[in-house]
Amino acid sequence: MSYGKKDEDADTGLVKIDRTQVFQEARLFNTSPIQPRRCRILLTKIALLLYTGEKFPTTEATTLFFGISKLFQNKDASLRQMVHLVIKELASSAEDIIMVTSTIMKDTGGSTDSIYRPNAIRALCRIIDATTVQSIERVMKTAIVDKNPSVSSSALVSSYHLLPIARDVVRRWQSETQEAAASTKSSGGFSLGFSSSSGNLPVNNSTMAQYHAIGLLYQMRMHDRMALVKMVQQFGVAGAMKNPAAIVMLVRLAAQLAEEDHQLRKPMMQLLDGWLRHKSEMVNFEAAKSICDMRDVSDAEVSQAVHVLQLFLSSPRAVTKFTALRILHNFASFKPHVVNVCNPDIELLISNSNRSIATFAITTLLKTGNEASVDRLMKQISGFMSEITDEFKITIVEAIRTLCLKFPSKQAGMLQFLSGILRDEGGYEFKRAVVESMFDLIKFVPDSKEEALAHLCEFIEDCEFTKLAVRILHLLGVEGPKTSQPTKYIRYIYNRVVLENAIVRAAAVTALAKFGVGQKDPEVKRSVDVLLTRCLDDVDDEVRDRAALNLRLMHEEDELATRFVKNDDMFALSAFEQQLVMYVTSDDRSAFDTAFDISKIPVVTREQADAEDRTKKLTASTPSLKPPKLGPSKAAPSAAEAAASASAAAQQYAQELMQIPEIKPFGHVLKSSPLVELTEAETEYVVAVVKHIFKEHIVLQYEVKNTLPATVLENVSVLATPSDDEELEDAFVIPAEKLGTDVPGKIYVAFRKVNGEGSLPVSTFSNILKFTSKEIDPTTNEPEDVGYDDEYEVSDFDLSGSDYVIPIFASNFAHVWEQVGAQGDEAEETLQLSGMKSIPEATEQLAKALSLQPLEGTDVPVNQTTHTLKLLGKTVSGGRVVANVRMAFSSKTGVTTKITVRSEEEGVAALVVGSVA
Amino acid sequence: MAGLFKKVYDWLLRTFWATEMDVTMIGLQNAGKTSLLRVLSGGEFAIDSIPTVGFNMKRVQRGHVTLKCWDLGGQPRFRPMWERYCRNVNAIVFIVDIADLNLLPVAREELHALMNSPTLEGIPLLVLGNKSDLPDKLSMDELIDAMELKNISHREVSCYGISAKEETNLEAVLQWLMKFANR
Ligand SMILES: Nc1nc2c(ncn2[C@@H]2O[C@H](COP(=O)(O)OP(=O)(O)O)[C@@H](O)[C@H]2O)c(=O)[nH]1
Ligand SMILES: [Mg+2]
Repeated sequence: MSYGKKDEDADTGLVKIDRTQVFQEARLFNTSPIQPRRCRILLTKIALLLYTGEKFPTTEATTLFFGISKLFQNKDASLRQMVHLVIKELASSAEDIIMVTSTIMKDTGGSTDSIYRPNAIRALCRIIDATTVQSIERVMKTAIVDKNPSVSSSALVSSYHLLPIARDVVRRWQSETQEAAASTKSSGGFSLGFSSSSGNLPVNNSTMAQYHAIGLLYQMRMHDRMALVKMVQQFGVAGAMKNPAAIVMLVRLAAQLAEEDHQLRKPMMQLLDGWLRHKSEMVNFEAAKSICDMRDVSDAEVSQAVHVLQLFLSSPRAVTKFTALRILHNFASFKPHVVNVCNPDIELLISNSNRSIATFAITTLLKTGNEASVDRLMKQISGFMSEITDEFKITIVEAIRTLCLKFPSKQAGMLQFLSGILRDEGGYEFKRAVVESMFDLIKFVPDSKEEALAHLCEFIEDCEFTKLAVRILHLLGVEGPKTSQPTKYIRYIYNRVVLENAIVRAAAVTALAKFGVGQKDPEVKRSVDVLLTRCLDDVDDEVRDRAALNLRLMHEEDELATRFVKNDDMFALSAFEQQLVMYVTSDDRSAFDTAFDISKIPVVTREQADAEDRTKKLTASTPSLKPPKLGPSKAAPSAAEAAASASAAAQQYAQELMQIPEIKPFGHVLKSSPLVELTEAETEYVVAVVKHIFKEHIVLQYEVKNTLPATVLENVSVLATPSDDEELEDAFVIPAEKLGTDVPGKIYVAFRKVNGEGSLPVSTFSNILKFTSKEIDPTTNEPEDVGYDDEYEVSDFDLSGSDYVIPIFASNFAHVWEQVGAQGDEAEETLQLSGMKSIPEATEQLAKALSLQPLEGTDVPVNQTTHTLKLLGKTVSGGRVVANVRMAFSSKTGVTTKITVRSEEEGVAALVVGSVA
Repeated sequence: MAGLFKKVYDWLLRTFWATEMDVTMIGLQNAGKTSLLRVLSGGEFAIDSIPTVGFNMKRVQRGHVTLKCWDLGGQPRFRPMWERYCRNVNAIVFIVDIADLNLLPVAREELHALMNSPTLEGIPLLVLGNKSDLPDKLSMDELIDAMELKNISHREVSCYGISAKEETNLEAVLQWLMKFANR
């Protein structure tokens, strides 16, 4: 392992080692005969430099590497071990490192238990490249099943690293890996009591190789669900695995399977329940955590896990208690009523001397308890706030923030608590959490307003965080003028103008102005005027400008000035976002000819916006279902990545099409479909098609590959016949001149839309490949002069409504649904998708087939039996298309779905529904 | 008793007069470098030899002299590295498959290119025509012509025919190499 950056602490306390000097000393490697001891010391120095982040420039690394390669095959086993260690580290920086492959390979094998074998294996895998992996295959296979766990482990871990480089080769080592996983050996058998002579591997009884083998097997089989299931079942039986870490891997895998495939749900849950009773705590915890983390877990499914965690709460070991409590704490956010049963045990921990345990105990109780217990718990926490880290403090503040909204009558106590900790020492994140909680109180719990404002005023008197001071000043400006005693705040604000940095001063000026503009009380108005006038002499431009502007607004006193300063109305932000996204993602260049029209964005009052915010905060803090899981469980690319690659493909197509003189006059491509395969992958001629939509034309791009050896196809064209030729008229065909074996080629067939620009013709196309086939003369390698004409029919495909639709994003589905519904067209269809084996599968396929964007996270179904998918897109001519897809799953009939589509343009809804019907 | 004496004598020789020398063996792939080295170091000849990735090093013991032999891979990707491994060695051995006439021009070019590099000036060269057991092979004179060995100057050059398989003429090879042990 080498560190990304130089480790500054490394040289303290150690001999000072200098790279240049070591490099000079490295001449030692070239002296003959070799002095093993001195070489070892020098190698150790090099290793130290590399391990602590020093980097040798390529030329130096290469010279070192060649020097070190002189040391190979020395009789001194420790020297050999050092050589491998250093070669492994140099592998990334030296050139021509591949030269040592054969030599290192020699050290990996053998029946001996030489100490350097594992090192040699690890070095070997670092220096190998994809083209030579094959030559080490035999060595690796033997090493994987070696009886010595150190050797086996190093081979397994190395294979793990080789897998991405040479997937196909490494996957051939499955049966060896399987054998290593299954072996419950401990090496050495019996030892005769004398210590092994130096240079031999020490006896190793670790079962860690099992863990490495399971990890590798998973990587090899990741995309084959059946194989994974088999693996869990085979190795999951009691006693099959000795290594707890290996079982932890299986636990994760089982949980993943239970979540992804509802048919596996029951057997996998049974396995997980079994692991709750395993003799290793590590396994118990992982199983309990996996069950609790499972989305849509039912109360019955989780009860056993909660029970086990409850038992751990009374363990004598702090770490055990802590782990159990932390899992329960997380879970309590989602299902407080299930965690409830543990309350008596958790209660006992609130004064635990380990403050981390106490913190979690209290915050868990805050989530699960009732209003009555709040005061008591708050008192308890106050006792040790000063003893815990910021991270835990934030946990507590977050819990209280939710409570404030849930139990407004408790605000006095909570406010007191918050203001208390605001005075404590703490970093920015912590202070921010407290301030935000107070903001929420001011906004949503009116009774607390004046007092909370007073605390904030006091806080800014001595606040080291500019960002927080600015936000608080803004809030004082908004809320202060509405209070009974505005002057009180004016004093606090003006103090900032005198004492603070320019950023805070500018914010203070703006806040002051809010007291002056529209002020009825002439006394107040006059004092604001005086204060702002003083600011005109500030050293900072921004402060002076703001003061001048606001003085002017104060003197004008018209409607506009008041509205500007009060700023009571705001844009509906979600609609704003959606419109902006529509604008910037427009594929039509002419969209940018006119500027974005902000007047179309609905305006809401601040109250409306706050109401929305409150509901969001309350529901977000007590969701009944889990958010989608993060982490490495899914190998599928994220939607964002998929979108990025799709848009890359579209750009590529557009560029290619622009190069073709016949197609250029058609203008920009409005949409390109994904590639549709028209043959199986193993046929003589492999054909696929991409549909390109232009303003007045449709272009079909056929991608053809001839897989027949020793033949060449000439003048290849496609006879594409639409089922309905009233709307489409042949324009031209651009054939491929010549297709050699396995050389892909492209054929373009263009149609004109008879009904012009706005029309969206749909049709089924039948396709016949036409060409002249010629054999290659093996002696000259040239095609023969005469060939024969041939045809080859491939599958039909549809040009459908979804080919005219582009996915777009909006944050609020209901809004768009109503808007489009008000003015447009609607179509509905109920379908039986017997081929779909689960809701997630149907969700993915339908979104793709309709070519629409899933909104509001509905692309991740949380329920395995029913789900509503919300989709949005727009047609190539710009009209919006929204779809509401409801589905239900039963194991007998597969997925039943009811699709309702609305469109702004007439007739489009039916066309889009038609693409899946 | 004589046996013991011999052992002691050898040990003394090794300890006080021990000499190590470096020899690099190059040539196109499949010429028989790895096979020759295996046989020289006392191993069995093997028909199915796998191509060498990079290099391969073995020690050959002759009395008080240890020959450290570097057998380099012959594939094109390794050829640029030959020069580096030939620097400062006591002798260079270039091995040619005399039963594969097609490859001779390539072998000649690679050899001459190497001999022209200034870093290797003066290092003795031994060209070995290997696989003399096969029919349709070149004679030594033909090999000397084909490889244009007469054009290589400023160094000691010799050319022997050998067979790694039948172990013919290997003693001569070792004798020749030993001449350069103490230089
Ligand atoms: N008939 C014959 N075959 C040989 C002789 N030496 C090597 N070979 C064969 O030639 C092939 C290549 O040998 P190898 O030592 O791997 O060549 P390298 O690439 O130069 O290392 C192997 O199949 C050997 O069995 C020889 O003296 N006579
Ligand atoms: Mg070889």
